[in-house]
Amino acid sequence: MSASNRYNRQIILPEIGEEGQQKLSKSKVLVIGAGGLGAAILPYLAAAGVGEIGIVDDDNIEISNLHRQVIYKSSGVGKSKVEEAKLMISELNSEIKVSTFSQKLSGKNAISLFQNYDIIVDATDNISIKYLINDACMITSKPMVYGSIFRFQGQVSVFNYQNGPTYRCLYPDETNNALNCDDAGVIGISVGIIGMFQANEVLKMILGIGEVLSGKILVYNILNNEQQKYDFDKSDFQSLSRETFEEKYNKSEVEEISFQSILDEINNEKVLFLDVRNEDELPKMSLKNQIQIPLPHLENEIKKLDKNQTIYIFCQSGIRSKIAAELFHKHQFKNVKSVAGGALAMKQLLEEKKNSHEFTN
Amino acid sequence: MIEVKYFGAVAEKTKCEFEKLSFSEELSLQKLLQDLNEKYQLESLSFSVAVNQKIVSKAAEYDLQTNDIVALLPPFAGG
Repeated sequence: MSASNRYNRQIILPEIGEEGQQKLSKSKVLVIGAGGLGAAILPYLAAAGVGEIGIVDDDNIEISNLHRQVIYKSSGVGKSKVEEAKLMISELNSEIKVSTFSQKLSGKNAISLFQNYDIIVDATDNISIKYLINDACMITSKPMVYGSIFRFQGQVSVFNYQNGPTYRCLYPDETNNALNCDDAGVIGISVGIIGMFQANEVLKMILGIGEVLSGKILVYNILNNEQQKYDFDKSDFQSLSRETFEEKYNKSEVEEISFQSILDEINNEKVLFLDVRNEDELPKMSLKNQIQIPLPHLENEIKKLDKNQTIYIFCQSGIRSKIAAELFHKHQFKNVKSVAGGALAMKQLLEEKKNSHEFTN
Repeated sequence: MIEVKYFGAVAEKTKCEFEKLSFSEELSLQKLLQDLNEKYQLESLSFSVAVNQKIVSKAAEYDLQTNDIVALLPPFAGG
């Protein structure tokens, strides 16, 4: 009873009705960014009865946010945005389930996060994150509701809706450097208007009413109230495999280490030195805890090794050991480093050390 | 006459939001973009191009017709 009272004025719209309200309450929307756009989107989704809302943002509230991020209070300065946004939603509509993710969206968490939601809203202020959201939406087959601002102008679109065109179809050139609000300046009303357009697209998709801005970008200028829609097509080459995604976003940075810095560990029994050269390669090395697995055999042998052990990999000059280290990273080994310069550099350093000992003795 | 509309950071460079350009002989889209690049130094900016409200490839072979409206749309980043 109280529920239908809460939503009565929208339920009496023929386009919504009880059925539409049910759709809203069953829908799950993830909003990435709880800044200016997010502050406009979140209260309207919550008030309309979107059943489950996720919020991703790792920022704390700053005093310079308050002129446009109007869901926050002066007393909230210094506090977590996602937690304050959750508090605001629970006071506005306690029927909504809110999940907060106080973390940066990355190649590591995007896909698993997106899988739990129906619609992904891009309320970020950073172009490289927009490409990441787009790509993770392609992998998980979720629509992405895009919004962004440049001073008094805004853009809105919905990408990857029912396999429609994506952000990459509109902006294939990823190496661009557009200014964000911190650099370009912004007023609250422009993010408010664009955020409202985004919330509107979300509700239209959930309710199945109207025309979704798929394959169209809306450009709005608040100074002269001009708005334009531009059509764009899906590019022929637009498909993205999970492998390409991992390669692009989760390529592990192989850590290289100098032999000098680990000299003290050559007698440490807990540390493993792994020679990935072939058996006939010289110079031979004979460190205390050393084994040899030639690189071509590593893939087969890797499972026999301990994922938590510290492993220093070397080869002849430090190239194959990097390839080996990447393989270890792929298999979730945590403490693997490649020795710079390989056996040649190691041998030389050991010789120098030996000579200096003889000299001092 | 054709009309060219500028948005976002592109309009900051051109210092106007639109202009009308007349052309006597044939003018291809590529030539127009090249001329605008030279006139306003747009190389550092990334943008998509629309002709008559439709995004087209910048490399598209297209001869502009009288009354065509070209738009230069850079991505925005604020939020």
